Amino acid sequence: MGFLTVLKKMKQKEKEIRILMLGLDNAGKTTILKRFNGEPIDTISPTLGFNIKTLEHKGFKLNMWDVGGQKSLRSYWRNYFECTDGLIWVVDSADKRRLEDCKKELYVLLQEERLAGATLLIFANKQDLPGACTVEELKDILDLESIKTHHWKIVSCSAVTGENLLKGIDWIVEDIAARIFTLD
Amino acid sequence: MSVVREKNISKHLTQLEKTNVITPDDVLRLNKISENYLCTPDANIYEIDFTRFKIRDLESGAILFEISKPVTENLENVSEENIENNEPIDPNSGRFVRYQFTPQFLKLKTVGATVEFTVGSRPVNRFRMIERHFFRDKLLKTFDFEFGFCIPYSRNTCEHIYEFPTLSEDIVAEMITNPFETRSDSFYFVDDCLIMHNKADYAYNGGVQT
Repeated sequence: MGFLTVLKKMKQKEKEIRILMLGLDNAGKTTILKRFNGEPIDTISPTLGFNIKTLEHKGFKLNMWDVGGQKSLRSYWRNYFECTDGLIWVVDSADKRRLEDCKKELYVLLQEERLAGATLLIFANKQDLPGACTVEELKDILDLESIKTHHWKIVSCSAVTGENLLKGIDWIVEDIAARIFTLD
Repeated sequence: MSVVREKNISKHLTQLEKTNVITPDDVLRLNKISENYLCTPDANIYEIDFTRFKIRDLESGAILFEISKPVTENLENVSEENIENNEPIDPNSGRFVRYQFTPQFLKLKTVGATVEFTVGSRPVNRFRMIERHFFRDKLLKTFDFEFGFCIPYSRNTCEHIYEFPTLSEDIVAEMITNPFETRSDSFYFVDDCLIMHNKADYAYNGGVQT
């Protein structure tokens, strides 16, 4: 029995999924996390560390990690890569000035060995704001079609209205489950 | 048989209190509330400070309990008051919380329990929490969660959303009529070494005539 098989079996027992949510500061990571879990979103301040939620979703135990996106914190992101099954990259679709920066940081992550097996969901957040880039525009600007190393999908959403959050998270959970819990 | 087990457990407890390093395996083996704190307040060399506890009901969205530490600016006043009152400062204050709930609390289905904590100047590796809830000697629930790495000077939160354990009506009735016999130990480890130990007890007879 190979090491991977053992790992798969261990994870299968508890059906535990670890999701890491990253993105530039002010992208809306914490708001997405809170909104998804039915918490008020009116008093959110910049995350100077992490926010974790553990919850049951579709028979899986989801551990969701939201780590602060400020520049000074990004060098610490690598401390959270271990055992990550899914990466959610959150984009402020209305912050066109910083999309190049956003693209650069995403591609650094995609080269990270410890994230090599992770499913990638890109949340095109803040669709409720006027002038927000569409999914098609973001695909182009972020050059998403060039990603061949990861299963990926981009979903437009709004953390404020809650639009499509469930759709995105259901997709990433199903994709991960299909890869990890195949022995069922 | 049970007598032998009791003996072994108390032997185990005494051994734990004597050794300096307490590991996660040590506390996972305990089958009741520990009588003493298994580390001193000084063991927290990482200056980890719990700044908020919150419990909410996922079904109604209602916040059932929330306690947060005032920001550090107010601390000066607090310590001055203490000096004026000339009260000896209990080294274990801040390590114990008493919760008083109504019987309704035991009927909840899904709850979210949030902790917020800050970290001092040193990076923290493999931060892990093990929390064990007992009614008398019956284990009700174990939380075992690894936060992993914590950034120096960070403020972090963690919410566990979970189904309330299903308890028999008899146990529920006993828990209501025997306040503070429901108790919990919260153990916090860094690199598998115990650095904090907090205790709590619970009453569920709020608003009940006794």
